Amino acid sequence: SFLQGSKLEIPLWLAKGLHDSKRRIISMELPKIYREAWRTVFSADANVVDLHKMGPYYYSFGSQLLNFENPENPEIAQTILQTFISRFRRIMDSSQNAYNEDTSALVARLDELERALFRAGQKGLNDFQCWEKGQASQITASSLVQNYGKRKFTDMDG
Amino acid sequence: LFQGDLGPFNPGLPVEVPVWLAINLKQRQKCRLIPPEWMDVAKLEEIRDQERKEDTFTPMPSPYYMELTKLLLNYASDNIPKADEIRTLVKDTWDTRIAKLRLSADSFVKQQEAHAKLDNLTLMEINTIGTFLTQALDHMYKLRSNLQPSESARSQDF
Repeated sequence: SFLQGSKLEIPLWLAKGLHDSKRRIISMELPKIYREAWRTVFSADANVVDLHKMGPYYYSFGSQLLNFENPENPEIAQTILQTFISRFRRIMDSSQNAYNEDTSALVARLDELERALFRAGQKGLNDFQCWEKGQASQITASSLVQNYGKRKFTDMDG
Repeated sequence: LFQGDLGPFNPGLPVEVPVWLAINLKQRQKCRLIPPEWMDVAKLEEIRDQERKEDTFTPMPSPYYMELTKLLLNYASDNIPKADEIRTLVKDTWDTRIAKLRLSADSFVKQQEAHAKLDNLTLMEINTIGTFLTQALDHMYKLRSNLQPSESARSQDF
């Protein structure tokens, strides 16, 4: 049991469960990355922020936070959106190898949503390069069957 | 299966056939291929220059310019004058178009447009960036709906 007014760290799912705008069991303190000081950093240059370290689920967690009544919600929602928009270009260019640079430093700073997007961009590029090399027309065994043991003809019924 | 008639095949006289048959006959050393009239240095230079000059996409002489270039240069480069130059010109044009496509994608995202129309793209170009772009736009759509203060918009599942 807890004293009224105590401050705890709890998982988001629990906070959501306890949250009730009418009964006010709990109130939530915003994680600092969503607060005004950090929001200012984001609007100055979102590209420099290490969202993996600060997240790694900056976008999805941030979106979930909006479920709690907080007067700053409109600003938080706007910052999250604008952050995505300003980081988009670099993710796109590096995943599609536009600059032929080493991308590992950039990827290290991406949150999980951005990393998934990066992988999608890479796949588009890889598929193209694979086609370019002529690998698209080579028949390869499906990965599903590669591990099947080869059965001898005599092992089959008969 | 589909079927049809081709020909007549008379020695020394050019005849139009589907690409697959042309390549097949060429591989069997039964014919010489005549490249399409756009597969020519002067014409491709014109296209490349226009592509570099304009912000919009140049209508390409074939919706399958990449595929045809690859096939013909791979299997019938001896029938194509200045094959190496042709290869370079097509690649340069492709690179310009892809860079333009990324630029368009970025301004689309920055302006938070609901619709975009890009004329004269080929499937090859669309497929290279398609998965990435549709995923990115999907995320952006969800983040944008966070801005609406309605109850249904706020609880986003990621």
